[in-house]
Amino acid sequence: MSSQQTPKTIGSLNFGLMDPEEYREMSATKVITADTYDDDGFPIDMGLMDPRLGVIDPGLECKTCGKHSGSCNGHFGHIELAAPVIHVGFNKLIRRLLRGTCRNCSRLVLDEHERDEFRDRLTRTRELQEDLNDVTKAAIRQARKKDTCPFCGEVQYDIQHEKPTTYYEVQQVLSSEFSQRIVAAMEGDEEEEDSQPVSPQELSDKTGIAASRVQEIISGEFRPREEDRKAIEKVLDVDLTEEDMNKLMPSDIRDWFEDIPDEDIEVLGMVAERSRPEWMILTVLPVPPVTARPSITLDNGQRSEDDLTHKLVDIIRINQRFMENREAGAPQLIIEDLWELLQYHVTTFMDNEISGTPPARHRSGRPLKTLSQRLKGKEGRFRGSLSGKRVNFSARTVISPDPTLSLNEVGVPDRVASEMTQTMNVNERNLEEAQRYVANGPEAHPGANYVKRPDGRRLKVTEKNCEELSEKVEPGWEVSRHLIDGDIIIFNRQPSLHRMSIMAHEVVVMPYKTFRLNTVVCPPYNADFDGDEMNMHALQNEEARAEARVLMRVQEQILSPRFGENIIGAIQDHISGTYLLTHENPHFNETQALDLLRATRIDELPEPSGTEDGTPYWTGRDLFSELLPDDMNLAFTSEAGDDVVIEDGQLLEGTIDDSAVGGFGGEIVDTTAKMYSKTRARILINEVASLAMRSIMHFGFSIGIDDESIPEAAEEHIQEAIDNAYERVQELIETYDRGELESLPGRTVDETLEMKIMQTLGKARDSAGDIAEDHFADDNPAVVMAESGARGSLLNLTQMAGCVGQQAVRGERINRGYEDRTLSHFKQDDLSADAHGFVEASYRSGLDPKEFFFHAMGGREGLVDTAVRTSKSGYLQRRLINALSELETQYDGTVRDTSDTIVQFEFGEDGTSPVRVSSDEENSVDVEGIADRVLDEEFQSAEQKQEFLGERAEPTNLSEHADDWWMAEGDD
Amino acid sequence: MVDVSQHELVPDHTVVDDEEIEDVLEEYDIKKTDLPKLQRLDPAAPDEASVGDVVRVTRDSRTTDQAVVYRLVVD
Ligand SMILES: [Mg+2]
Ligand SMILES: [Zn+2]
Ligand SMILES: [Zn+2]
Repeated sequence: MSSQQTPKTIGSLNFGLMDPEEYREMSATKVITADTYDDDGFPIDMGLMDPRLGVIDPGLECKTCGKHSGSCNGHFGHIELAAPVIHVGFNKLIRRLLRGTCRNCSRLVLDEHERDEFRDRLTRTRELQEDLNDVTKAAIRQARKKDTCPFCGEVQYDIQHEKPTTYYEVQQVLSSEFSQRIVAAMEGDEEEEDSQPVSPQELSDKTGIAASRVQEIISGEFRPREEDRKAIEKVLDVDLTEEDMNKLMPSDIRDWFEDIPDEDIEVLGMVAERSRPEWMILTVLPVPPVTARPSITLDNGQRSEDDLTHKLVDIIRINQRFMENREAGAPQLIIEDLWELLQYHVTTFMDNEISGTPPARHRSGRPLKTLSQRLKGKEGRFRGSLSGKRVNFSARTVISPDPTLSLNEVGVPDRVASEMTQTMNVNERNLEEAQRYVANGPEAHPGANYVKRPDGRRLKVTEKNCEELSEKVEPGWEVSRHLIDGDIIIFNRQPSLHRMSIMAHEVVVMPYKTFRLNTVVCPPYNADFDGDEMNMHALQNEEARAEARVLMRVQEQILSPRFGENIIGAIQDHISGTYLLTHENPHFNETQALDLLRATRIDELPEPSGTEDGTPYWTGRDLFSELLPDDMNLAFTSEAGDDVVIEDGQLLEGTIDDSAVGGFGGEIVDTTAKMYSKTRARILINEVASLAMRSIMHFGFSIGIDDESIPEAAEEHIQEAIDNAYERVQELIETYDRGELESLPGRTVDETLEMKIMQTLGKARDSAGDIAEDHFADDNPAVVMAESGARGSLLNLTQMAGCVGQQAVRGERINRGYEDRTLSHFKQDDLSADAHGFVEASYRSGLDPKEFFFHAMGGREGLVDTAVRTSKSGYLQRRLINALSELETQYDGTVRDTSDTIVQFEFGEDGTSPVRVSSDEENSVDVEGIADRVLDEEFQSAEQKQEFLGERAEPTNLSEHADDWWMAEGDD
Repeated sequence: MVDVSQHELVPDHTVVDDEEIEDVLEEYDIKKTDLPKLQRLDPAAPDEASVGDVVRVTRDSRTTDQAVVYRLVVD
C-alpha cells in the first residue's frame, strides 16, 4: 500500500510541437559518444547508457533522481544535431507550409479578405467538430494559385516534394540549348506553309534587341536576359526555358519557417504558442530514457542492445563524422552526402517502414523496430498493449456438455478452481471458515493460495506452512481462497459478436480438465463440443460480483435484445423428447411417470389422468404440465401444426415442440420469461430439458441407414418421375434447337431454356421427395426431428431417400470445366440434365462418380462462401463497433457521443428496450390483459396483495443454492 | 420531376423559430452545434431553410406514435 500514491486528475492535455529549448531543458544529459559500456561493463558517461538516463540493472541507483530500477521511470537525454534535419512525421505539413508561404518574406500568400474567410471557416468547422484539414487544405490550394506575393511582390515558384524528406523549388530558367532552339525556330517549319523563315535582322526589329546582340545570342555567346528571352519567345513562338530543380536544404527551410508571422499560421489552424513551424525541423534530438530501450543480457553473458539504441548509435556516429568533416573544411559534396545520411538515420529512427526508403536493418537482416513500429498495428502499443491487455485470474480450456448442470452453472475443473482465487476479508464470523481454507493448503481443493496481513505483507500459503499459518489468521486478514461452488464468474466464447457471448455463471467445481456447460447455452455462445475452447474470468471485487450476478447471469440474458424474444430454450434432443412425450399423448404407469420427472423438483405425482385395466396412468401432457407455472394461460399453433392450448397451467391439447419450448421465440419460455420472471423461466428451461432427456431415453431415439429406405415399388416410382423429367428436358432442348422456344419477358432464349430446365428438374426432385415421404411412418426419427423442428428438414429427408437434385454454382446449373462441356465424358454443347450437375441418386443409394464431382463443386462454393462471409463480416463488425463504441445513453434519455453531440433525442427514438416491447405487431403487448391480471390480484385479498405488489421486487441476485427458499416464498 | 419531399415516407420537416430553439437547447443543455445535422441541399430540407436554422423532423413511429428530432442546417 505504501508504494501507492493518491490518484491525480488530469487537468488538460496539449497536443503540439515541442520547442528545441524544451528538449534541452528536460534533458538529463547531452549524449556525445556512441559507445554504451566500457570494457569493465560500466556505462560510459555521456554515452547512450549514461546512468543519468535511468537505471535498468537492479541494485544501481539513478544518478538523476536517486531512485532504484523499478521506481525510476527514466529520464530523457539529447543529441545536438550537427545540422538541422526534417522530422518525417511532419513532411506533409512542411510541404503545405512551403507551398502556402512566400519564399521571400515568409508570409502566408493570402490577402486580408481571404484570411478572414478561412479564419471564419476554421471556427465554424471547429464548432461542428468536423475535419479541420479540409479547411487548411483549401487555404493552401488558394495560396498556391497566387503567382506573386501580395505583400512583397516576389514571384512564387512551385514546390516539389520527393518523398519522404526532400523538397525542391521548381524554377523556369533559360535552357542550355537556347541558341539551337532559336536557330531552329528562325528557319521555320518547312511542312507548315504559313511559317516563314525569320532573318536575324527581322528578329532584331521585332524584338527591339540590337542586331549585334541578336548575332551573339544566336551563336550562344550571350545569354539573353529575362525580358529579352520573353520577347524572342513571343516573336518566334518558341519555349526557351527548362525546369530547374533547386533543392531546399533543411536549414533553408528552417530559416524560411522562422520568418512566418504567428498570425499567419493561425489561419492554417496552428497555434503558434505551442507549435512554431520551424520546430518541425529538428536541431536537437531527444534520446529516450534507457528504460524505454533496455538492453538484455544473453545467456552467454553478452549484452544485446535494443533496436532504438542501435539506431541512436548510428545517428551519433554520423553526427560526429559530419562535424569533423565540416571543421576540416571538406568539400560541399561530401558534406551533403553526410547530411543526407544523417537525415536517413533520423528518419528511420522515427519510422522504419516508409515507402521508397530502404528500411534500416539489423546485422541479421531483420528490419529494426523503431518508434513508429512500436505504436502501429495489431501488436503495437495502442491495439496490443493499451486496448488489449492480458489479464490475471482467467482460464481457458475445452468445453464439453453436462445436462445435469443448471443453465446458470458452469463446471470448472478443480485444477482451475485452485488457481483462480477470491479474496476473503476475514472477520469474526468467517474466521473458522478462512482458517479451514488456509489449513487445506494450496493443493487440496477448497484451499487458499495467499494470505495478506493487515500490515500489507502478502504470504504465500505452501504445503509446509499451511497448518501453522492457518492458526495465525485473524480478523482483518485477507485470504485468497480457491473458487468454490456458487462463486460467480464470467464466461466467454470468441468471437464475441453479441451481448450473450459474455455471460456470468455460477461455479460448480468438478474433476477432469474441461469446462462443462448445459447444452441450452450453446446457441447464445454459438458453441459446440467439437473442440471449442472458452475463457473464464474470476471476478475480483464485490461490485463486479454483484454486477455480474444481477446483470450478466445467463438467466438475465434469456431474452435477446436483437429480436426481443427468448434466445435460450430447449434444443435438438430436448425438442424431440417433448415431441415424443406430448404428440400422441402417451400413457405412463406410476413407475414410468416418476422416472420421467425424477430430474425435476416435482417429487409427488399429480392425480392420475385416468385408469386403464384398474391401474392408474398419467399422460405425457399431464406430466409436462407439472413444469408449467400454475396459472399460465396460452394458446398458439405448434411447429407440427396443431393447436396448443394451456389453461391454468395445464396443457390440454397440442404438441410441445420447437415453437413451444425452443430457443428463438419458443412461446412457453418467452411468456414465462416476460410474464413471470427470469428465475421462473430458468427453472422451466432446466426442467423441460431434464424431462425431455428422460422422455427421449424412455422411448429410445436413434437413426440409421434403414430409416431412410423405401420400398422397391416406391423407388421405381421415383425413377419414373425422374425419367419423365428427363424426357421433358429433352423436349425443351429439341424445341430450343429447332429455334421454336419462346423467350420469357426480359430474358434471352438461352436464359429461358436454362430456367425451364431448372424448373422441370426442381419439380422432379420435389415429386421424388413427395413419393418418398409417403412411405415414412410418423414415428420415423428423421420425420420426428423435422416435424418438431429439432433438427433437419423434409428436404434433407428427400435428399437422403429420394433424389439429391440439381447442383448449382453461382445460382446456375454447372457450366464450367472444359470447352463447351463440363467434363470430357460428355459431348460438346450437351444441354441435358446429367451433363450439367443434376444428381439423380439419393444419398442413401450413393452418387456415381460424375454426380459426386458435381456435388463437390456445389459443396465447395458453400464452404468458400462461409469463409468469405465470416472474414468480411468480422471486419465490418470491428469497424461498426469502433464507430459506435463511444455512444452512450445518458440519464436524460438522449444518446450522445463523448463530445456531447446528440445522436438520438430518445434511445432508439422511442426510449424502449427491445426485450421489454412486443416483438411484432400481431403479438402486441396485451395492456388490458395485464391490467385485468393486476386488478384480479388486487381484489382477492385487497390490502395484502397491494402491499405485496408494490413491494415484492424480483430478486435477481439469488444463487441457485437459494432456490428452495425462492420456491417457498413464491409458492407457485 | 419528382419532388421527393412529397413522398409519403419522407417525414415532416419544419423550420422552427428562435424561441423553440432556445427551449430545445435548454432542455438538453447543449449548444446549437451539438444537434444532429441536416445538409442545406438535402432533398428533404424545406426550401426556406438556410444554414444555421434548426429544422424539426416529426416522424411517425410504431412505438411512440411520433418521434421528434431537431437538426441543425449546415452546408
Ligand atoms: Mg466448434
Ligand atoms: Zn531516475
Ligand atoms: Zn512575400
